[in-house]
Amino acid sequence: MSGALLQVKNLSIHFGGLRAVDGVDFEINRGEIFGLLGPNGAGKTVTFNLISGVYKPSGGEVWFDGRRIDGLPPHAIAALGLGRTFQIVKPFPSLTVLDNVLVARGISRYPRAACLWTSWRSGRERREAMALLERVGLADLAWRKAGLLPLGNLRRLEIARALAVGRKLLLLDESFSGLRTEEIAKLEVLVRDIRAQGVTVLLIEHNMRVAMGLSDRIVVLDHGRKLAEGPPAAIQQDESVIEAYLGRKSGDQASPGGGAAHAS
Amino acid sequence: MSGYLVTILTQIAIQAIVVCGLNVIVGYAGQISLGHAAFMGIGAYSAALLSTRAGLSFWTALPLVLAICALCGLLLGLPSLKLKHDFLAITTIGINFIVQAVFLYVPFFGGAMGISGIPRVQFLGEPVRGVHFLYLCLACLGVVTVVSWLFTRVFAGLACFALREEEAAAASMGISPVRFKLLAFMLGTMFAGLGGSLYAHYMRFVSADDFSFPLSVSFLAMLVLGGMGSLLGPLVGALILGALPELFRPLAEFRILFYALILLLMIRFQPGGILGEASLVRRRLYPLLFGGAK
Repeated sequence: MSGALLQVKNLSIHFGGLRAVDGVDFEINRGEIFGLLGPNGAGKTVTFNLISGVYKPSGGEVWFDGRRIDGLPPHAIAALGLGRTFQIVKPFPSLTVLDNVLVARGISRYPRAACLWTSWRSGRERREAMALLERVGLADLAWRKAGLLPLGNLRRLEIARALAVGRKLLLLDESFSGLRTEEIAKLEVLVRDIRAQGVTVLLIEHNMRVAMGLSDRIVVLDHGRKLAEGPPAAIQQDESVIEAYLGRKSGDQASPGGGAAHAS
Repeated sequence: MSGYLVTILTQIAIQAIVVCGLNVIVGYAGQISLGHAAFMGIGAYSAALLSTRAGLSFWTALPLVLAICALCGLLLGLPSLKLKHDFLAITTIGINFIVQAVFLYVPFFGGAMGISGIPRVQFLGEPVRGVHFLYLCLACLGVVTVVSWLFTRVFAGLACFALREEEAAAASMGISPVRFKLLAFMLGTMFAGLGGSLYAHYMRFVSADDFSFPLSVSFLAMLVLGGMGSLLGPLVGALILGALPELFRPLAEFRILFYALILLLMIRFQPGGILGEASLVRRRLYPLLFGGAK
């Protein structure tokens, strides 16, 4: 159960002249909660999309559970046990909340011909899906149309669906944003609980308190490059990270460009 | 039943079968198709050629017809993998015209003369005609409806719903857009092919003009009217749009006007169709019929 579950090696993608992700390396160990941080436009969501197969990298490699997955389509990567949420929520609006989760429960069926004759409306499937909804606290709304839910509930629905898919790794893309304080507290408990059940978690987070509190290790991106890596305490002290978020101290503006990272 | 009524109902039943196929593609999988008459034509021409040239009966030809249609559905479904919305709609219109042109200009398909002399369907050594042919069509419609219903209950059908709603999310849950869109096209085309085969043996003559673009439009109109994605919507739509021109016959020239008026009113006030989500029938009639289950 030890060793790296996900390895990202020299990962890059260019959109025209824009290097959205530029030579990023990191490794996530099994059972870790790993934070991916950075200011807006740093390339966090693009990195997620590269790992989950939405984009094909221009360069570099992604290894998941001993298998190279860059270049595979999203559905094939999902089938390996990698579940994800979307920062801009993507529910199936005209399906019920329960049916949304049942779609995700089909993850092991879709590659097989048996999906042509296996019913998704069996009592067993429904119970399993309800159990997932209970974990995220949506069981009361199971029969509601997903398109009618407010954002906070949709974020939890995203997590329930991703949980059904992500047997090994869960990618959470700003799942905490737009939530109230008590909802955040509940979700933190849930994320720890998910890890306790043996699922590794990679999260993108803007809320510093949440990210620092949850993550075992953190990578900070800025302008598509890795700025820093380490445990939360070290990241909080890192000069280059503080500079990326807050800007440099006045009087240091004489040296523009990314070169002088250790301005003092 | 009068011969007139049997004729109208037979045509409606055949069209309902084809619209059930369109429902799988448009209603379940969310892929717009404005070329469904072409798929019906492929079924009709396959049945016509297999019975007149190869001497096969309706029954022995049927598996072949369905296989040919499934293959064509697979090929003609390929554009749906790259195109969305209006671009796919335009492409499927193009497919309709191309298929029609192939029937018209390739001598193998009989050219402008079409294919005539298609034998009647035989059952237990007797030709099936009149009201008995209507029963055959209704039986086929029953099979198609049951298969549609089963499809909505299995994971493959659920995968199609998910693709219709939100493709990126569906893919992140292990659903291959390629596989399940093509599956929907295959199933929908097979239904259309069954309808086409019945049509060929009913009319006993097929020509390219029978499967033109306006017919595709009226199939889509039937589906929209009845309710996209609902199980019985295709039946209701085919019944209403099939019967209306007959009911309005005394109005002569004005009947197309009434036909258009009804469509416009539907789109304005019941965009989900008669049996669609949140339609009047669902909200008012279903609770009366089924005691308000949902």
